[in-house]
Amino acid sequence: MNPRKPYVRPISKTSWFMTQSRYKVYMLHEISSLFVAIYSAILIIGLVRLGEGEAAWQGWLDAVTSPIGVIFHLIAFVFALIHTTSWFKAVPQAMRIQRGEEIVPGKLIVGAHYGVLAAVSLFVLILAGVA
Amino acid sequence: MQVIEADVIIVGAGGAGLRTAIAVAEADPKLSIALLSKVYPMRSHTCAAEGGAAGVIKSNDNLEYHFHDTVSGGDWLTDQDAVDLFVNEIPKELLRMEHWGCPWSRETSGNVAVRPFGGMKIMRTWFAADKTGFHMLHTLFQTSIKYPSVKRFDEYYTVDLLTDDGACYGCTAIEMRTGQMRQFRGKAIVICSGGAGKIFPFTTNGAVKTGDGMAMAYRAGVPLKDMEFVQYHPTGLPGSGILLTEACRGEGGYLLNKDGYRYLQDYGLGPETPTPVLKAMELGPRDQLSQAFWHEQKKGRTIPTKWGDVVHLDLRHLGEKKIDERLPLIRELSAKYVDSDPVTTLVPVRPVVHYMMGGIHTDIHAATPLNGLYAAGECACVSINGANRLGSNSLGELLVFGARAGRGAAEYAKKGLTAPSERLDALAADSEARVKAWFQRTQATDRVPDLKKRLTTAMEDGCGIYRDEATIKAACDIIVDVRERFKNVALEDKSSVYNTDLYQTLEMDAMIEVAQTVAVSALERRESRGAHQRLDHVKRDDEAFLKHSMAHYNPNGEPRIDYLDVVITKSKPAERVYGARAGGQSAA
Amino acid sequence: MSERTIELEVLRYRPEQDQEPFFQTYKVPCEEEWVVLDALNYVKEEMDRTLSYRWSCHMFVCGSCGMMIDGEPKLACKAFLKDYPTGKIRVEPLSNFPIERDLVVVLDDFVEKLESVKPYIIPKEERTVEQGEYLQTPAQLKAFKQYTLCINCLCCYAVCPQYGLDESFVGPAALALAHRYNMDSRDLGRAARDDVVAAAEGIWHCSFVGACSQVCPKDVDPAGAIQQAKFAHGIDYLTSFLPGGKR
Ligand SMILES: Cc1cc2nc3c(=O)[nH]c(=O)nc-3n(C[C@H](O)[C@H](O)[C@H](O)COP(=O)(O)OP(=O)(O)OC[C@H]3O[C@@H](n4cnc5c(N)ncnc54)[C@H](O)[C@@H]3O)c2cc1C
Repeated sequence: MNPRKPYVRPISKTSWFMTQSRYKVYMLHEISSLFVAIYSAILIIGLVRLGEGEAAWQGWLDAVTSPIGVIFHLIAFVFALIHTTSWFKAVPQAMRIQRGEEIVPGKLIVGAHYGVLAAVSLFVLILAGVA
Repeated sequence: MQVIEADVIIVGAGGAGLRTAIAVAEADPKLSIALLSKVYPMRSHTCAAEGGAAGVIKSNDNLEYHFHDTVSGGDWLTDQDAVDLFVNEIPKELLRMEHWGCPWSRETSGNVAVRPFGGMKIMRTWFAADKTGFHMLHTLFQTSIKYPSVKRFDEYYTVDLLTDDGACYGCTAIEMRTGQMRQFRGKAIVICSGGAGKIFPFTTNGAVKTGDGMAMAYRAGVPLKDMEFVQYHPTGLPGSGILLTEACRGEGGYLLNKDGYRYLQDYGLGPETPTPVLKAMELGPRDQLSQAFWHEQKKGRTIPTKWGDVVHLDLRHLGEKKIDERLPLIRELSAKYVDSDPVTTLVPVRPVVHYMMGGIHTDIHAATPLNGLYAAGECACVSINGANRLGSNSLGELLVFGARAGRGAAEYAKKGLTAPSERLDALAADSEARVKAWFQRTQATDRVPDLKKRLTTAMEDGCGIYRDEATIKAACDIIVDVRERFKNVALEDKSSVYNTDLYQTLEMDAMIEVAQTVAVSALERRESRGAHQRLDHVKRDDEAFLKHSMAHYNPNGEPRIDYLDVVITKSKPAERVYGARAGGQSAA
Repeated sequence: MSERTIELEVLRYRPEQDQEPFFQTYKVPCEEEWVVLDALNYVKEEMDRTLSYRWSCHMFVCGSCGMMIDGEPKLACKAFLKDYPTGKIRVEPLSNFPIERDLVVVLDDFVEKLESVKPYIIPKEERTVEQGEYLQTPAQLKAFKQYTLCINCLCCYAVCPQYGLDESFVGPAALALAHRYNMDSRDLGRAARDDVVAAAEGIWHCSFVGACSQVCPKDVDPAGAIQQAKFAHGIDYLTSFLPGGKR
């Protein structure tokens, strides 16, 4: 007779991510992409409206500058920051650059990403006439 | 009892067992192989080997040098025919490991790199940073997966050999997850069960190294050879016994006493030089370095700590870059276990039991005197190590003689000899009854852990770096007593699934047998040679003892010891020369 | 000697008598510099012979003693008591694996996966011993060395939610091992490994939670290995559209 009886500990399919803080961080990152996606969709809609003429464009502008529009954009901005920083942090793992016998330090790669982000942001801000 | 049949059965899946399995599979893919191990292969203690494996590969080296280093390192108790073929075959074996993917450290040219090691006249030790054994073990394990004829039985604890009329036909083993015993029948059996350092309390050896295979062969009538030669490694971490590889000194580390003095120069190993010189100072042989520690301790020049006296290993001058590249594990272990980062701090070390030179007697084909039974690796004694193994020779040994055992066993298995199955069933039933008896006993007067402590302490006291008649005798008496008391232990865990109480009890059974052969062989060898130093017989005595001790099982008492001549071909016994007179090159 | 009493809360499960696991607490007199494994050994030797767990080398290299220590997968030989100042430590078998008994888990699934990725050199050119070694520069060695350091302790599987939710996932250690061979200059076996590695249960099942790399006691970075493998496959896919690209 086989005396074995391996015990499988149950895992909740719906709340597993609440069990460890690193899973929560991961979930936050995943959720942040949702906001980034919605934001992008709104932007694309804006483009379409622009093509449809003055009135359509004004309607879109009114919507995004309404209190709800502003609140959404603030929230989306925070999530976009979360999304960006968590991706940047992970980049050195996915992008391992070797020069000779040395692996390029992760800090350098992350730093370069922030550098590009800053440059692009500045460029956009200048374009927009803000800076 | 379930019967499992295979052409070749291998007990042990460490470096030696895996190499054997591959050799059988390559010799004849039609042969079925059962590879048994009480732990998953990658847990085997080969993984702990740090420093490297010696083999002649560079143009400034030659086989003769390796031969002479090994023979004199072993204080001429080596069989020279075995050493000859060992030094010849090892470079090929190491190259094979390279082809199988072992991540050897490299020179800028892309060729494999070598490092200096103790007692070696030329730099010839191949290495993979300071995890050589780990990489070799995983390379062998992963490569073995390629061969469909290798069927593994992971976590099967082998209990007894099945022998009949001067030949071996299989073994019994317990499937640890069910606790059920199986009868393994084979046409050839190879034991690769590793060493027995756990018979001492302070050792670099892992939990698995309890001498099971040695005890099995011994009980089956195969003599254990040269068991009194136990290697103390000079640099173990106090407390845990974790090894700091000899490569620390190969890379240029110093050993300092409490005055910060490189004391080895007082023991015929000098003069001191700032950078390492082969065969001198810190690159002397292990037996002499451990003995020098003992003398320093007697002179009061060691440093007392709560884990016993220590000296200091100084690596600071090597610099962080070199330490991180060549000795990363050493850095991690020292920092974590004794709170000493070798980059900035002296690391406390003391001699620690490390390796059994002795083992199951085999010939140069890895065959034991019992037909159909082979042995390789640390459990075996083919006599390339003699009275003192040189560091980095045993990883090579397990490859060369593992491969030989595999080829030999494959050849033998083709003869297809078997014993009547009723006979084997009866033997297996006896083995099962022996195990059952542990379960049935209810009244225990002694406990295994207590007996183990008693046994190991006795070994340390009686069979340490220096020994004499009185201390060894005392150890022998305690072992006899422990053996008696052991008859009165009962299992506290009576379950079937993964019962580690049972396996520790079976291991204890083996340890008693092995310890007794060590102590009695030590008592009988009335001379000092290599790692066996007698305070009451301080000279080497070639007249009487240029011979292998052979310990034979005696069911009624202590082992019977007789002697076997050493094979000498081209190197006549002479004085061992280290230090300035050895003419070793600079290894800087 | 400085002693300290630790409360060791150990998850016990003896299949022959227990319906499910339960915690048992041992009050263990410990030395200051001990690791959790030493405390377990003390329990085994002095308090309770029926406790089962795996261990061997006691030096971070055999990989036997991976277990959950205060909820984190760790090597018991590398978990120093001094890092647990409260004096209460909870020890459980590795998560995401079936419990065989006490702290011993069933490893069959992992071993099969390790075997499935063909973890051996599939050579560019067969070479005889007489031809000597393959040349491999230190830089070429560096390209895969980190991924050779895995000791199969399975801490990574114990913390991988993808594996926990769906055990068909090949998982961190096995995929990192495949990457190790793919990156070896002596090897040309990537295509042969892709059956398993590039399948849906392979690298694409990984959502880069990254927990595996955070807990790895050997800094192998399996998450990195998997993302690099995905990246390489992405590049392959794109270049396949170029003139002369392989499709
Ligand atoms: C810390 C350390 C560092 C070392 N460094 C070096 C070095 O740098 N260079 C060098 O040359 N040598 C070194 N050595 C020595 C060398 O590593 C060993 O001698 C060698 O690895 C032994 O290999 P093996 O295959 O014989 O045994 P092991 O690797 O110990 O394997 C034994 C196998 O037998 C199995 N087994 C045992 N009993 C049973 C049983 N009852 N039933 C089933 N299976 C069983 C085990 O499960 C295991 O698989 C070192 C040793 C230590 C301890």
